[in-house]
Amino acid sequence: MRKITYLAVLSAFTALAAVAADEKPVAADVKAPAAAAPATPAWSPYQAIKRPNVPSVKQKNWVRTPVDAFILAQLEAKGLKPSPETDRATYIRRATLDTWGLLPTPEEVKAFVNDKSPDAYEKLVDRLLASPHFGERQARRWLDLARYSDTSGFQNDQVRPNNWRYRDYVINSFTADKPFDRFIREQIAGDELWPDSQEAKIATGFLAGYPDNANSRDLVQRKYQIEHDITDTIGETILGTTIGCARCHNHKFDKISSKEYFQLLSFFANTSFDQRASLAKGSESDWDKTFAAQQAKYREATREIRDKQKAILDKYREAGEKYHKERYLTDSREAIFKAEKDWTAQDRWVNFRLKAVSSDRDIEGYLRLTSENKDHQEHSPDKVEAWKEYQKLQAQLKKFDNQRPIGGSTWITTATELGHADSPPTFVRFSGIHERPLDEVQPGVPALWGGDKIEIKPLATSSGRRTAYANWIVSPNNPLTARVYANRVWGQLFDKGIVVTLQDFGRAGGKPTHPELLDYLAADFIQNGWSVKKLQREVLLSNTYRQSSQPREDVAKADPQNKLLAVFPRKRLEAEEIRDSLLYASGQLNDKIGGPAVFPPIASVLNGQADFEGNPAWSVSKDKADWNRRSIYIFSRRSLPYPLTQTFDPPNTSIPHHKRDVTTTPLQALTLFNSDLALDWSQALAGRVINEAGKDPAAEVSRLYQILFSREPNKAEKAALSDFLSKQEAVVRQKAADGKFAVAVPTGVKNGKALDPIRGAAFVDLVLAVANSNDFAYRF
Amino acid sequence: MSINRRDFLLRAGFGIGGAAVGGFLPGGGFIGAASAAELANPLAPKDPQFPAKAKQVIWLHQNGAPSTLDLFDYKPELVKLAGQEIPASFLKGIKTSTQGGVGKLFVSKKRTWKQHGESGAWFSELLPNLAQHADKLTFIKSSVTVGATHDISILKLNTGDVNPGRPSLGAWVNYALGSLNQDLPSYVVLYNGDREPTAGSVNWASGFLPAVYQGTAFRPGDSPILYLDRPELRSAAEQRSTLDLLKKLNGISADRRPTDSELRARLESYELADRMQRTAPEAVDLSGESEATKKLYGLDDPTSESYGKVLLRARRLVERGVRFIHVVSGWPDGLAETERRSWDAHSDLDGNHGVQARMVDKPIAGLLADLKARGLLDTTLVVWTSEFGRTSWGESGTGRDHNPWGYTQWLAGGGAKAGFTYGSTDDVGLQVANKDEAVDTYDLHATILQLLGLDHLKTTFLNNGRSERPTVVFGKVVKDLIA
Repeated sequence: MRKITYLAVLSAFTALAAVAADEKPVAADVKAPAAAAPATPAWSPYQAIKRPNVPSVKQKNWVRTPVDAFILAQLEAKGLKPSPETDRATYIRRATLDTWGLLPTPEEVKAFVNDKSPDAYEKLVDRLLASPHFGERQARRWLDLARYSDTSGFQNDQVRPNNWRYRDYVINSFTADKPFDRFIREQIAGDELWPDSQEAKIATGFLAGYPDNANSRDLVQRKYQIEHDITDTIGETILGTTIGCARCHNHKFDKISSKEYFQLLSFFANTSFDQRASLAKGSESDWDKTFAAQQAKYREATREIRDKQKAILDKYREAGEKYHKERYLTDSREAIFKAEKDWTAQDRWVNFRLKAVSSDRDIEGYLRLTSENKDHQEHSPDKVEAWKEYQKLQAQLKKFDNQRPIGGSTWITTATELGHADSPPTFVRFSGIHERPLDEVQPGVPALWGGDKIEIKPLATSSGRRTAYANWIVSPNNPLTARVYANRVWGQLFDKGIVVTLQDFGRAGGKPTHPELLDYLAADFIQNGWSVKKLQREVLLSNTYRQSSQPREDVAKADPQNKLLAVFPRKRLEAEEIRDSLLYASGQLNDKIGGPAVFPPIASVLNGQADFEGNPAWSVSKDKADWNRRSIYIFSRRSLPYPLTQTFDPPNTSIPHHKRDVTTTPLQALTLFNSDLALDWSQALAGRVINEAGKDPAAEVSRLYQILFSREPNKAEKAALSDFLSKQEAVVRQKAADGKFAVAVPTGVKNGKALDPIRGAAFVDLVLAVANSNDFAYRF
Repeated sequence: MSINRRDFLLRAGFGIGGAAVGGFLPGGGFIGAASAAELANPLAPKDPQFPAKAKQVIWLHQNGAPSTLDLFDYKPELVKLAGQEIPASFLKGIKTSTQGGVGKLFVSKKRTWKQHGESGAWFSELLPNLAQHADKLTFIKSSVTVGATHDISILKLNTGDVNPGRPSLGAWVNYALGSLNQDLPSYVVLYNGDREPTAGSVNWASGFLPAVYQGTAFRPGDSPILYLDRPELRSAAEQRSTLDLLKKLNGISADRRPTDSELRARLESYELADRMQRTAPEAVDLSGESEATKKLYGLDDPTSESYGKVLLRARRLVERGVRFIHVVSGWPDGLAETERRSWDAHSDLDGNHGVQARMVDKPIAGLLADLKARGLLDTTLVVWTSEFGRTSWGESGTGRDHNPWGYTQWLAGGGAKAGFTYGSTDDVGLQVANKDEAVDTYDLHATILQLLGLDHLKTTFLNNGRSERPTVVFGKVVKDLIA
């Protein structure tokens, strides 16, 4: 197989783009083989899903699941043979990384390799799917789509202290194999559909993940931007349609008009987000209890100071609030200064938003401004005194900062329609500009998607619009949801989707390489009660997935991009897989599931970063055990991504992230070779190897390879490593000779295994090199 | 003792093939873009679409939005009307906020104005050094944008959208033209002050472009890149021999996959990283600069020292072939927490701009003089830019509010028309005088790309089925700005 280079991919994109600019549909360059598609009408992503007949093939014994027949039929049509089955060790490493994002242990590898039972693979896959690590790994992919972050983004980049609850909801849903249709309905309309379920409300965190700037002075524009973000996010992630194009103009490729876009947008016209809904009594987890206790303690310790501060602010509250409100733009002010009895549905939204973003900080800001600025028209001597006193109290309060609880909350975030069933009107906007409304529209589904008449039943406290949309999204009338998700699962396991553009099934997207296979998977998915685990199980057990990834010249010639999958596609580990696997290999991973986000230390040059309000941007977790949690639990700050994983193509948290690209840069090399963590992991891994292998060099090297690569070193590798060890001792010794004897030795070595530090340091170097090698960074 | 890299490559048997993955030959000669493109380096230099006037860009973002009414845009009428309500005719067509907003027109008593150079451009007393370079500048006095808050307008200035997620201009340039250098990042972000600019990396992100095109922040200090230095416990010789082992191991596994260029690129990336460990600190090390040069950049004045150092670094990076240098202004070193302010002068404009202007004046003037003296100004485009300007009316008596309706930015070098002013604001400096001359951020981007030899309409990347370009669905090249 000739692996296409990255640049080749880019050039292909550019070529596609050129076509796209001419508004011609992009043709897929793999023709469906005649055998697979005899004179049937062209496949369309919008046609109803019918379970296709499994094609007949010549090499029948290769077909382990129907999936294989679809793949093989096209290979045979092209005159290609599938690749041989990969060895079991490679398979278990591949499958464990794909389902858990972690390496298998040498013991797990050994048990599988030696398992003589006929259902060894089934047992392995079932074990993998049963683990909460499966939930974590699947959740990570879903959180990419949900543009998940623990902060709001923009300049303020405020902490959203409840978001971890949504993250845990996603993990738990995948772990429990919650039916995917229910999963979708909860995330879009959980608050309407299951008003008594806290879990369903938390699920709407999917919608609430939009980037936001609390200090925006244009609340009407904010409303529009939020609706736009949500509409586009659902369009791309669930419906495989880049609906956002139709915001500014009728969609150039897909028959979706601007009007239809705003009809979709109007499903969310009455939706607000409450980030301070109380956590239901009795539902508190241990984390919540810890947080509440810490918070109570902090509050008690600071009560007097805060009461005094409040008393000062109360004196200026009215003036300060007025000042704050007057800073909003014209149309926002109209709603803000209107009497509540006259509020329209939109005024309701604006005023709820105002309340949500207002705080004592506004009054504080007002006091500061009018006291420090002698020329201000509201300046007065009493304010100068008050501000002085307030600052004194502020300094006293700061002394208690180290007692502030980090992480957690007493709230949940949920969508809400503020107790009203009537929605503000939605208009088509000229060129998508919110200040230029055209005709009013009603909720509806684009004709392209079937244009179903959607019946909206208003509820007592809510418009029912999202319920109607969510129900339609998972209804048999809409074939996109199952197809799009089945395609994502395929893309996750085989690097590329059957439709290569995971987020675009439209005419500008890629044509499916195996349309019948996609329909088969989608039909099965629905028939199996939307079980994500069953869907993955079938693919993981297929012969297609079991193939070797060894490149083949005949495939490189006949199918240079390996679209037909005659060879298994190798892939570099994702950012989180790299960190988690190295932690795991070094024996340091803390595999606790769930809870508030954690803050491992970051490079000292980044310490002292503060958010817009002067709070530390990164408060390192006090409990060191938290530093070694899986990457999914690391605090995701939009303005300060965790630096260690940042260069390894992590998700862009501002927009739905559909595919993890692979780029290769020297900055990645610096991270994995030079960072303190890389050294720390190498020392710990070296110590682990010594503990488990004894001090025989050959046994050590063998153990190291088992841990990182799930295999034994080959002859050439053994020779290189042993040669290195013998020479490296001299290199280390030379360093030691300069008088400053300090070397990095293996850590965690158990008693009774006294160690020569020179040799130990040389071995740490060896471990570092092996952990940096391609054989670790790729799954083959 | 480090092994000579060229020897190493040859001895290790990687020869041209291995080195060419990085897009260049051992010893430094570039290989042609076409053949480089066949290899796996997304940063291989690419030809512009048509002959370029500029090769490199220094993007001087004046963070917080200076009042260009107090720097460049002299308005005698405003001086006359100062202290009065703004006549309603000037407010037509704009949405304002009232509080601290539309108040009385404001002019600082300290402001004095003079014309400079043959072009006769106006400068206030706040920028005495920059004024000496009047004839090098191309003023855009009809700049406009959208937004009333810094964050969204800064995003739009850098990425073309008011929501985060799109690639920054530097990332587009990096994607379209590739790298001019062998061993430094091609898109570097610099800032002065003791912390990263707020909102952070979304402003130099690659958005939907591959991450390889994102900006790399160079932090203040001797070691500008995260993880640049090997841990103290490891000696240089130890590092080198460990890298050699890594190379050998990767070579052994590459033998099983000889055609896999992505694996080879990863192997090569460690050699690049190894070189970067030497070149990056050297690139930002100012100890070899003469006293005269340091003085030129204002390093002898505590107010301008930190920004001067950053701009001197910028010049060194230009010399070393960094394609796009994105500089965000901060504040002078050594200020108390409450004194750390950007250009955002809602009150005490004189105090604020007194510091900020003094911070940038000498360094920017020094940069222009230095680039010129070294023959680099012709191919380096310097862009003085901000998220918006400030209002003609006063806020809280002594400051000014945000103004997206008319403000000044300027270009220098890189094929821009020197000693030239484009567009104007109305008589009080609030809105552009002639809407047809309005230059929005998209137009600025389109014009910069044009100078770099790129048609903004043809610089595209397919994302989500949409052929995306740097200027979204807007943008026009302002031909008058081009020499």
